[in-house]
Amino acid sequence: MSAKPVRHPGELVFALVLVVFSVAALWQAYEISGFSGLTSAGVFPMLAAGTMVLAALCILVRTAAKARPDGASGPESLRFFREVLAPLHLTVIGLILLYLLAIPWLGFTVSSGLFLFACFALLWRRNLLVSLLLTAVSLGAIYVIFRVVFQVVLPQGTLLRGLF
Amino acid sequence: MAEALSYLTIAWLDPWLLFLTAAGTFAGIYVGAIPGLSVTMATSILISFTFKWEVNDALALIAGIFVGGVYGGARTAILLNIPGAPSAIATAIEGYPMAKRGEAGEAIGLTTVMSVFGGFVGIVALALFAPLISSFALMFQSRDYLLLGLIGILLVGTLSGESFAKGVFAGALGVLIGMIGLDPMTAEGRFTFGSITLMGGIPYVAAMIGFFGVAEALVQLHNLHLPAIKQKVDRIIPHISDVKRYFALAMRASGIGTIIGALPGTGGDIAALLAYDHAKRSTRKPEVPFGEGCKEGLVAPEAANNAAVGGAFIPMLTLGIPGDAVTAVIIGALFIHGLKPGPLLLTDTPHLFWFTVGSLTLANVFLLVFGLTGIKVFTKIVECPKAILIPLIIVLSAVGTYAIQNDPAHIYWMLLFGVIGYFMKTYGFQVGPVILGVILGPMMDENYRRAMIGARHDVGTFLWEMVANPITLFLTIAFLAMLASQTPLWQRLRASLRKHRGERERE
Repeated sequence: MSAKPVRHPGELVFALVLVVFSVAALWQAYEISGFSGLTSAGVFPMLAAGTMVLAALCILVRTAAKARPDGASGPESLRFFREVLAPLHLTVIGLILLYLLAIPWLGFTVSSGLFLFACFALLWRRNLLVSLLLTAVSLGAIYVIFRVVFQVVLPQGTLLRGLF
Repeated sequence: MAEALSYLTIAWLDPWLLFLTAAGTFAGIYVGAIPGLSVTMATSILISFTFKWEVNDALALIAGIFVGGVYGGARTAILLNIPGAPSAIATAIEGYPMAKRGEAGEAIGLTTVMSVFGGFVGIVALALFAPLISSFALMFQSRDYLLLGLIGILLVGTLSGESFAKGVFAGALGVLIGMIGLDPMTAEGRFTFGSITLMGGIPYVAAMIGFFGVAEALVQLHNLHLPAIKQKVDRIIPHISDVKRYFALAMRASGIGTIIGALPGTGGDIAALLAYDHAKRSTRKPEVPFGEGCKEGLVAPEAANNAAVGGAFIPMLTLGIPGDAVTAVIIGALFIHGLKPGPLLLTDTPHLFWFTVGSLTLANVFLLVFGLTGIKVFTKIVECPKAILIPLIIVLSAVGTYAIQNDPAHIYWMLLFGVIGYFMKTYGFQVGPVILGVILGPMMDENYRRAMIGARHDVGTFLWEMVANPITLFLTIAFLAMLASQTPLWQRLRASLRKHRGERERE
């Protein structure tokens, strides 16, 4: 039985999402200019979306044919949140989102510092002081390399305008 | 000729460019070597930082990163059995057993010399053939470009992914993403949903950084606590006798690498695997069996993947069609600098072409220098914990995406693409075809419509023109053959052929 590939948790749902997304894309592509001509704006998007629908259907059929993972414990949704979108992943994605939302407010330097510190503390699990030191060093390095060498204008926050 | 030579040497005579190329190569080796950092990731992030620079400066740095990065993967493959880049997978098969026998230094030395050798072969091919192909490419019509784009996306989709359907899906998704915004021909909105932000299109740098940077960082979260393995490294300079003995093989492998690199859509990873396969077939009596630390198996993929660098520049500079994911990103960089890679690039801006050749050569020289030195420091740096690396990648991705147009909206795109890319990678999709699609999509759309207008809106004429011209006919056959080889029909045919032959043999 080992020849039959095993399905990852959530793979079938993902394949379904792809089909739905592709059909929606095809419909939207049709809305651009319909079948009004062979060179109108919507033709190529329709071709691309049509290809996606076909490919997504193939993927769905093949995924459905894959073996259910055996020897695994618990329902698939639980395994999905353990293996694919583990709490760690959700936390990191959440932190990234917070970080991106904070950039326009706090500016690049402050928000990056907070983000780096939070991530180091979460992922590295060492002494907080070490994390803090590491944050300072990496932030300093980034600032010197990008602001001074590459001369990138780093975003400034509206709250701390002129400070950082 | 003298003119070409003077352009060629720009990078060699200017100390600042010399420094940039050296820094790029040096950084590239580490980027390529540290598992979790990839050349594609580094180039996509770097593009946004260098877009305000002079073109030459940016190109010198990127050439260095590219050359160094392709090589760097070999080091971690040998020392830790983790290919730092996909192009070093074959290297790990032979290199790691050598390291276990205590021959890590020798393996690194040999790969360095052979990588540099392969790199030079690729560059010579670029310098010789690009001008030829580019004058040939002037004869290409819209439909040929359409076919080349399709072939490129199909090739990258078929050869690198888990299944053909997944590769095609990823490529088509990329094309669709590339379509978003105002249609350049009729100014109609496509997938804009009335949003002004969407009318400007999706910034492809945000897509690149999302797919190659953030998505990869999220994937790497799974290997957070892999322990680092330490290796003893001593003699680095390879034996002259070894270099001599493997010269012929390295030459053949470089040839394979250049050709594979030059095919649109295929790059160093495929070149390395094919060259490894070639070495396996052509070596009758290896000193050590393949898979247990055979030097032939180390030389071939390393010569090939560096030769593919020069090869990959050929279609990019002459046709405007990227040879692999990294060159797709570099094309993005050229666009940002207002350049249009294509058959006219060589006639309009010959200095740019020869400058690229020159800085690639220079990067190769630096590769030899850095490749044979500094291994001790290297082993320390590569052990950098993922817990430090991942947050840094994300911060760099964010500032890189923001820097390109100072638009906060772009960083949300980056995160969205990052999360999508994470799911795609988890379920066996490749993200390379997506980026190729984003870059090639608008080009293919434009050429499709031009070809259709040329055929007077008649599908019959359009299809007839696909076979009426020798160049187009060749491309059409190549495209159809690739398509056919991936469909169930062909597999069934092959299976029945095999069955047939088996029966005959039994008789």
